[in-house]
This record gives sequence, C-alpha cells and structure tokens, in this order.
Amino acid sequence: MIKKSKIPGILTWLVLLFFYLPILLLVVNSFNASRTGGNWGGFTLKWYAQLFTAREIWNALINSLLVAFFATLISTLLGTTAAIALHRYKGKLQNMHYCLVYVPLVVPEILLGISLLLFFVALQVELGLPTMIMAHVTFCVSYVAMAVLARLQDFDQALLEASRDLGANTWYTTRKVLLPIIFPGIVAGGLLAFTLSIDDFVISFFVAGPGSTTLPIQIYSMIRRGSMPLINALSSILLAVTFLIILVIQWISKNQEKKEKT
Amino acid sequence: MNLRRRQLLKEWGLTSPSLLWLCFFFLLPTLIIFAISFKPSDPLGGVGDGWTLQTILALRNPNYPEIIGRTLWMSALTTVITLVLSVPIAYHIARSKPWKRDLMLLLTVVPFWTSFLIRIFAWKAVLHPDGLLKKALVFCQLISPESLLLYRPGTVLMVMIYTELPFAILPLYAAVEKFDFGLIDAAMDLGAGKLRAYLSIFIPGIRNGLLSACLMVLIPCIGSYVIPDVVGGIDSMMIGNVIAQRTFVDRNLPHASALAAVMTIVMFLPLLYFLKGKKQEDGTATPAREVV
Amino acid sequence: MEDFLRFEGITKTYGSTVAVDNVSFSIQRGEIFSLLGPSGCGKTTLLRLLAGFEAPDSGRIILDGEDITDLSPNHRKVNTVFQNYALFPHMTVRENIAYGLRVAKRPRAEIHAEVDRMLSLIQMESHAQKKPSQISGGQKQRTAIARALIMRPRVLLLDEPLAALDLKLRQRMSLELSLIHDEVGITFMYVTHDQGEAMSLSDRIAVMNNGIIEQIGTPAEIYEAPKSSFVAAFIGDTNFFDGSISEVIDSEYCRISVTDLPARLLCFNDKKLNRGDLVHLSIRPEKFQISLDPPQVGPKHNVLEATVEDIIYQGDHTRYWVDIGNDWRISLTRQHTRFMLDERPIKWKDRVYISWLADDGFMLERYSEADEELLQAPPQSVGETEVEEDSELSAASEGGTQS
Repeated sequence: MIKKSKIPGILTWLVLLFFYLPILLLVVNSFNASRTGGNWGGFTLKWYAQLFTAREIWNALINSLLVAFFATLISTLLGTTAAIALHRYKGKLQNMHYCLVYVPLVVPEILLGISLLLFFVALQVELGLPTMIMAHVTFCVSYVAMAVLARLQDFDQALLEASRDLGANTWYTTRKVLLPIIFPGIVAGGLLAFTLSIDDFVISFFVAGPGSTTLPIQIYSMIRRGSMPLINALSSILLAVTFLIILVIQWISKNQEKKEKT
Repeated sequence: MNLRRRQLLKEWGLTSPSLLWLCFFFLLPTLIIFAISFKPSDPLGGVGDGWTLQTILALRNPNYPEIIGRTLWMSALTTVITLVLSVPIAYHIARSKPWKRDLMLLLTVVPFWTSFLIRIFAWKAVLHPDGLLKKALVFCQLISPESLLLYRPGTVLMVMIYTELPFAILPLYAAVEKFDFGLIDAAMDLGAGKLRAYLSIFIPGIRNGLLSACLMVLIPCIGSYVIPDVVGGIDSMMIGNVIAQRTFVDRNLPHASALAAVMTIVMFLPLLYFLKGKKQEDGTATPAREVV
Repeated sequence: MEDFLRFEGITKTYGSTVAVDNVSFSIQRGEIFSLLGPSGCGKTTLLRLLAGFEAPDSGRIILDGEDITDLSPNHRKVNTVFQNYALFPHMTVRENIAYGLRVAKRPRAEIHAEVDRMLSLIQMESHAQKKPSQISGGQKQRTAIARALIMRPRVLLLDEPLAALDLKLRQRMSLELSLIHDEVGITFMYVTHDQGEAMSLSDRIAVMNNGIIEQIGTPAEIYEAPKSSFVAAFIGDTNFFDGSISEVIDSEYCRISVTDLPARLLCFNDKKLNRGDLVHLSIRPEKFQISLDPPQVGPKHNVLEATVEDIIYQGDHTRYWVDIGNDWRISLTRQHTRFMLDERPIKWKDRVYISWLADDGFMLERYSEADEELLQAPPQSVGETEVEEDSELSAASEGGTQS
C-alpha cells in the first residue's frame, strides 16, 4: 500500500503553504488602495502614512516595549537561577519547584489572565503597567528556565569541580565558568521572553488598566472597530521586524556553530 | 554538618526567587479562582463581601452544558486532525536531507515568533465577505454569493488547526528524529508488511512525542478565546468567550471565576494523566511550547 | 621517612552502599602512587575525598602534617587532572592554564612567565591560543596536566587520565607522564582500572576491591607475591590450587595434597604452615614449562602429565590450556624465545609434561571463589554440554562488567 510514498512530502509543502498564504495576502493587501481585500485598487503607501500619524499606536508601542523590557530583565534573572537550581539539586524541594516552573507552560493563557486579574482585584492593586509587567514575568520565567535548562543539560559538572580545585570560590566559578558557558541559553531565553511579552494579548488584556494599552491590545481593538487596511500595514511592519530578528538569530547561531566546529 | 547546612542555604538561595515568585503570582492566583467562586458579585464590578453558593448555582445556566460540550468537542477534533496531519509532516521533515530539513524546520518555527493576533487577523481578511477567497469560490461557482465563510464553527476549527499545527509538528519531529528506522527494517525482515511495521513499531516508538504533542494542542484549545472571538459567531462560543464576557461585558467577576474553576478542573485531568506518564517514561518528553 | 600523606580510617557511604570501608594508608613524598581496581571499588571516591569534592563519614586525611579533612577544595594544596580533562571550553589553552593563578590574583607578569614555562614543559607553545575544541586528545591531556601543575600542588591527583585516549597515545602519554613527574618531583596519586598503566607508571600500587585495600606494594611485589586471590586474578592471569599440607619437609618446603587430585605438590612454605593446614596456591601461567618429552629437571621441580585442551598462538607467546586430570584446567604460556617453526609442534589432545619450580607457587592469605571469574577463560570448544557453556558465559560476562 505505501510504496516510498510521496504523500508526506506533498502534505508538508501544502501545510507550509497554508501557514504562509494568509500572511502573504495580508502583506500584499497593505499596499492595496482599495479598502477591501477582494479587488486590487492600485499600489499605495497611504495606509503606512496614516499609521505614522496615529498617536495611540505609538503610545501602545512604547507601552509594549516598556513592559517587554522589564519583563525580560526580571524573568531572565529568575529563570536562570531557577534553571541552575533545578539542574544542580535533586530532591523534594526541586520536584515541587519543577512542577511550579512547568505547569505555567501548559496552562491556557486565559486562566493565567483571569486568575491574575482576580488576584490583583482581591489585593486591591490598581491595574496598570506594573501589574502587566508582573503578569508577563510570571509566564516568561518558565520559558527562560526551560531554555537555560536545555543548555545546562550539555554542561559538564566536572568543570565546576575543576574550577574549585584550582582555588576558585563559588562566586568566581559562577562568574567565570558557569555563566559564560550557559550564556547562549540565557540569551535564547531572554529573546524568547521578549517576543512572548511583545506578542502577548490574552493575559495583557485581562490585567490591562486605563493607560496601559499595549500593541496587541491596540491591534485587537482595531480589529474590533474594523479599520482593516491600517491593521494590514501595521501587521506588515511587525512581520518584517520579526523576520529580520529571526534572520539575525539564524545568522548568529550559524556563525556560532562554525566557530564551535573549527 | 556545617557543610550540609551551607549547601542547603545555597540551594534555597538559588531556588527561592523563582519559587516565591511563582507561588505568589501563579499558585496563589489559581487558588483564588476557587475561593472567589464562593463570593457574591458586587454591582460595581468587584467582588462582594461574605460567602455564597449563588455563584456556583448560577452555573446551572441551561446554555453552559452546550458550551462546555462544544469546547471539548472542538478541542478534541482540533487535536485529532492536527496530530493526523503532523505525524506524516514530522516524518517527512526528519527524513529529509539536512539543508531541506533545516529549511522546513525554520518555516515551521517562524509562526511561533510572529504575533498570534496578526495570524488570526490574516485569516479574517482572507475569509472576509469581500475577501479574496470568497470571491474566488463564488467565481468558480463552488458557493453561492450569500454564504458566509466567517463566523461559523468550521472556520473556528480551521483557524485553530492553523495556529496549533506548529506546536504538534515540533515535538513530533523531535520524537521521529530519535526513532531508529533500523527497527522498521527489522520488522519487515521478520515478515511484517510496511503498513503493519509502521503501525506496530513506528507509532509506539514515537509515543512520547505523540503524548506531548497531544497535550500541547489540547490544553490551549480548551482555553481558546481569541479565535472564536475574532472569526467565530454565536454558535461557536467556547468557555473562554463566556469567561471574557462575564469579565468585560457583565463585569461579574465571581461568575467568571466559577467558570475558570470549571476550566481548571477540566484541564487538569489530561495534564495529570500526562505528567504521570511522563514520570514513568523518565521525562523524555519535550517541555511544553518550547522553541529554542 | 615521615608519612607525607596519610589516610586514617576513612569511611564513606552513599545511602546504603559503602564506597570506602575504614581505609588507612600513607603515601611518601615524591612517589607515584596508584589506586588500582575495578570500577566501583572505591578508588575514585578516595580521590574525590582527597580533592575535597566529598566529605568522609569518618576518618581523617593528613597532608604534610596538616589535617585537611574539613577544608573545601579551593583551600587544599592538591590539584586534579580530571578524567575527561574538564577543560573550560570558552577559554584558550593559555587561559585554561593561567586560571588558577588568576584566581589567586598573582601579578600579570608572573602569570605570563609561569604559563610560558608550563607551555614549554608540555610542548604546547604553538597551541597556546587555541580553544580546547581545536586540539587533539593528547594535547587536551597535557593542557589539563599543566593547568593543575602550575598551582605547584603538594599532590597531583590523576583520575583515569589516559582512559579517553586510544592505545598508542595511551602508551606515549604514560611515558610522558613519568617524564613530567621526574621533572617536577611532585607526589602523584594516580587512579586507574588499567593494570598495565599502573604497573608501568607507579612506584607503589594499592589494589582496591569492594571499598577496601587488598594489598599495597611495588608493582613487582604485587605481581609476584599477591596476598589475596583478588590481587592474583585481577593483575595478570593465574591458576589457583586449593588443598592441605600433607607433609612439612624442612623449614622451607612442604608438600600439598590438592583437593580432587592425586598429585602431591612441592611448595615453598613461606607462611610456615603445619601439616593439615588448608592452603590456596596461585601459580602464574608463565612459570610453567611445557614439553612433549619428560623434562630434565632438578629436585625442586614439580612435574605433571597433562592433555592439551586449547592452544592460542599470540605471536610472541602461545597460551595453552591443559587438563591435569579430573577436568582440572591449567592455563600456561610459553615465550617463543627460539624460532618456532623448526620444532615439533604441540597439538590439540597431545599428552604433555608440565613442570614448575616449587618456589613459583605462592600461598595466598585470603581466598574468595568469586575471584576465579576474573581469570582468563579458555575459548569455548564445540560439543561441550550446555550447562558448562552457560557457566562459562556468565563468568565471562561478569568479568567483563567488573573491569
């Protein structure tokens, strides 16, 4: 029945096409002068021009970057220490620790969102950028910890012993041996945290207060209000930025590989 | 003894930042969901004083069984279709030449990094009544001009599969890549047909990958909110939408909380099952939604 | 001479397993001292205890008159060459070697000069700027040694330092190690499971098994005069005989009647045993002579008739397994000191004579039947019964996991 089947190959490329077709149409439409995507009304940049004069989009962008910056900083710190602890120690405490780090990865965002909202309401904390940052840190910590933990799996524990053996104390060993070696994992985790934070809509939507509108929340309300061409333009810019970042990461990791090989 | 105490101190020093943070901002809020389910609402949109069973009893709303049923049914269907599509794709990627494999993996990973909202919005534009797909289908006389592509359960299902596919392909790819294809040769050498060899050797061989892919698709589906909200209609509402509605429209937080408690319980059943299986398998399953 | 390094009653347990069981011994200044034994015998634990990575449950470690038992590894004047080198992958060879001195905040110029001296000692001057991933196994090995030596440790600990290298490189590095030792004159404590390495390098060897030290001595003492069946079987190959003293001839010699054999063996009675005492003998394979005709030997020789069961030609020597009656197998080797092809060859099932000097049989202080599994088993011959086959197989596989 299956004789060197071509089906998986065809299916794969079809699905990849399925992944990118809507995105491609969106980008094309951002240059479409016609309001609806159904017909081509000629090439235009007017939607982009409109975008640059929209104050609320710039505000939302600034909010997003602020939240992402602090969330990345804090979650990278917490995630790295968590990963080191999980890797170095075994026992009941770390089992519990691992569960707490792991479960947020699989809990639906809406549950995280509503529970944090209720938590802040119960504590009578005013919603705003600080609560947003705390929420983002909470779901980013786990991703950072997993990224660093992946790097630690390949780490040879004997290196720490070697450093101690040569007279270094724990702090010196951590600074000069452990951190430099797991640094790529920390960077990867930090990048992941940054992207997740910038992209997050559901959790942000729940814990957002007045004046803490982030870019995804702004996009959502634009979708609701139906200003389609403007979102096309905004999305295209965001997609371009994302692709650029991915390209840079690919380029860096390729270089890294080459370095490690020779 | 002194050495051991110092060790313990160091362990706590490294563990406590993340442990305390997650206890405070994850464990406690999750418990609060259950507590607030027993609180009355207050007219200002906050949480009232005292304790009541009214909120829990309000869950007897006749619409809810249907919505919960739909949520589970749509999630299960999405999971099954996604997995059926993903296994051959993961197989194909894992068995391709290195450069092709890297390219296909990159193309699968990129959606991870692009905004979730934008990808859903892109579909809305494609399926829009004035959109390209509708026009093309009407032109080919496949559908009548009056029919709707948007705001239907099928639309929600398709977009959910679209967003979940990468999350299934990646863990499955990791599992297929580790699979020793010599085993298939061995099975066929022992007289098994190709189909039988794949069903009895390959599928059990990637069991861990299947399990974690299944979990990674199923649980976010149960919590779906944005997709039914943006491309779905009244007849494709899921629990997530009701929670959002109670939170933002009715401003009845205890009611939203009770629904979230229901969702937590529904979601924890497959999760516990998975974690149990994972422990037995010595934790080789990929951590959830991990990209790097 | 005063003991330079002394282990006093060291015990270390992991959960319910005893890794090191009340061990005491001392090491002299400047010697190469090896801990030799199968994996799991406790040798690595002893090394880690000395380095400070583990703390003993009880006992003391005294280095040069100072009790270092409670010192943490970074305060001990001992340094380690790790099994897989543990070179810092993000530092160059030069930075790796300089690491310890940098930690100690020594002046830059001094560090530079010291590293240069080390690089020339290990002949790695031209590789100083390379990363560990860019150099070969042998070069990594030398870098690891230099990194430890630059600290001028009182004792250099080497944890299976040659295990990761291939055979040729292992032989060369073992020679280099002893040259380096001669040059720096530091005390080496060397941990290995490879008897060849231990024999060729060490001044003294401690043979370990199951958490205790079976015997300490020079390589020759350990080989020629093993105290226990474990030492006899683990180092080289041997034959065991058990029996009782049937006759004490004079102050030096006795006769032993071997269990299940009619033979009365003449043996050197170095343990001054009396008539009737039980005894275990170990005789090394190369101590036997084998011939087709009755040998012309003196009065202090034992001669037995035997049947050849197996022959393995190995170039410089041939290994024979012969049956001396009652299925009693003896393994023996014969050096090819003369050109072999001119001789009348010994063939399978030939009747032969084996002989050996009474002084070559060595009485063991301790004997355990389990150690017989360490002996080189004869090759499997066709047609043997299944039961025998099973026992041979299990013996071979257990021996394999032990080493």
